[in-house]
Amino acid sequence: MIEVTNLRKSFGGAKKGFFGKKENPVIALDGLSFTANDGEITGILGPNGAGKTTCLRTLYGLLKADEGSATIDGINVFDNPLAARARLGIFPDKFGLYERLTAYEQIDYFASIHGLQGDAKHQAIEAVINDLEMTELAHRKTLGFSQGQRMKVTLAQALVHQPKNFVLDEPTRGLDVMSTRVLRNYLARFKEKGHCILFSSHVMQEVAALCDRVIIVANGKLAAQGTPTELCELAGEINLEDAFVKIIGSDEGVAA
Amino acid sequence: MIQFKALLSKELKEAFRDKRAMMMAMMMAVMAPVMIFAMSKVMIKEAVETPAIYLKVSGAEYSPKLIKALGDENILLFSDVPSDKQIIWDERNLTLTIPASFNQDMLNGKTIDIYLSADYSEKANLSPVRRIKNTIIHYARAIGYKRLLVRGIDVRLLQVVKIIEQDTSLPNSNAMIISMMLGLYLLMAAFMSGLPVAIDASAGERERNVLEMLLCQPVSTVKIVSAKLCCASLVACIGVLLTLSLTSFSVSFIDLTKIGASFSLDTFTILSLLLLLLPICFFASALQLFVAFQSKNFKEAQSMVSMIIMLPAMVPVIMMFVDDKPKWLDWLPISGQSLIMEDLFKGLPVSWSLMAFTGLVTISMTILLVLLMAKKLRSEKVVLALS
Repeated sequence: MIEVTNLRKSFGGAKKGFFGKKENPVIALDGLSFTANDGEITGILGPNGAGKTTCLRTLYGLLKADEGSATIDGINVFDNPLAARARLGIFPDKFGLYERLTAYEQIDYFASIHGLQGDAKHQAIEAVINDLEMTELAHRKTLGFSQGQRMKVTLAQALVHQPKNFVLDEPTRGLDVMSTRVLRNYLARFKEKGHCILFSSHVMQEVAALCDRVIIVANGKLAAQGTPTELCELAGEINLEDAFVKIIGSDEGVAA
Repeated sequence: MIQFKALLSKELKEAFRDKRAMMMAMMMAVMAPVMIFAMSKVMIKEAVETPAIYLKVSGAEYSPKLIKALGDENILLFSDVPSDKQIIWDERNLTLTIPASFNQDMLNGKTIDIYLSADYSEKANLSPVRRIKNTIIHYARAIGYKRLLVRGIDVRLLQVVKIIEQDTSLPNSNAMIISMMLGLYLLMAAFMSGLPVAIDASAGERERNVLEMLLCQPVSTVKIVSAKLCCASLVACIGVLLTLSLTSFSVSFIDLTKIGASFSLDTFTILSLLLLLLPICFFASALQLFVAFQSKNFKEAQSMVSMIIMLPAMVPVIMMFVDDKPKWLDWLPISGQSLIMEDLFKGLPVSWSLMAFTGLVTISMTILLVLLMAKKLRSEKVVLALS
């Protein structure tokens, strides 16, 4: 379970500007709170610059929030980052691969970092490679992989230790239809097993099809939350896309 | 432990698969022996041989005997210069002016003024000028002695005190230049060899967005930094080892006995050198990683870290100019090691306690750097290269 309470974060405000004038800080998060439950897929929607990635980075412990708290399975990410991260699988916003290693070696690397070893590790790696249908990629060096192939490797290394909580930042960008389906099925199976999945996306159909609950973020604040149907009803629209635009579009917002 | 093993093995795999970085690391090792070989060859030649000097003499006709004496020392007239060397000697412009009154003054027993003019600041002129001066002084002294002898005076009266010089340096010390260069090269190798690996593992990984991913994992930053440090310094150690072994091999081809020197790298020397340089390898890599992590991108890291490489080159050079070395130089990293290395090459007994102490200081500074880096990597500014 992932819980975020009253998260605030601003960038660049602390320092004085060139001529002693105070620079205007960029407020990325302005008291964001939400909960992602176990056994559910929670989607984060929001326009560009709404604070989605900042929020997720705060969850990984890469950024320190100015105020508020974030917990993963009840463990505070600021007080005990290592224990919190051990329960987390991460698919980050910016990701790269070790281009001189093969896909298998990379997955192996991350599995070992999560403390897997011996037969258990090899079984876990084989399982995740089979599940993501990337057997023929496994023993090639990742240099020259296509965007989709890179995504798969990154997904595999995030999932190899079967994390209880799984955070994905726009996981389907660049994936082809088949791969997207593979991913969706995989996430659905994960959900069945009672894992908590939190993912951000811009693809409305996907969110509508996959998510049990949707959180809409705008200007660093929670704009609305609920099931896709609830959100449509709230905005009085038929499809999620129109509902989304309506919710974030007006200054007052339907949710306000 | 599983984590550290995984981190280290990944770093090593990446480093050794990076062909360019490896080439760079090994280049130093190959370059050093070649340079040392070539430079000592040249130096021996200069010290042993007396190449022809071409002197512009005006008034040569007034003192044929002096000209002959110069000629015996291979100092020839400019008019005899072979055409291929004419331009060089014309530029050097060494001139000797002999006055027309040479013979008359000689007969009268007066002091004769001979003018030698040359650019004394030109390094190429130093040895010719010295040889010309010596020859003329010898020539004049011989005549002077004869004058005294003719008058029935013992020449030894002129020599009130005679200094008998005893050089206490061991035969090894004469190979100072070679050992100094080798010392410099070894320090450089320690700094250079690990450099590409260190930059790639820090600034490079951040630029390829893999560092961020790693820092999101449940692994302490101390482990990450130590793994990177171990990998980079291992490469540096290999570089030093290669430099050392190739140099001892190539020096065996130089005939140092010609200048009365001997230089050998026995097992003991090599082992103590390695013991000395091991902490330096770690310190150098830590310093490089530290700077590279601080910089915003790969390019900045490269230029900043290149400046660090100047460090080992500067320290021994500066120390050459300091005659009374303050005690604390013995303890500091790099300067301490280079002083001990000097003793080692001279064949003097090495103070093991001092060596252990410098090593300890170097290692503790390395640990300090690691802890500092680990702390920095927990701050968002460094991780995302914000400020």
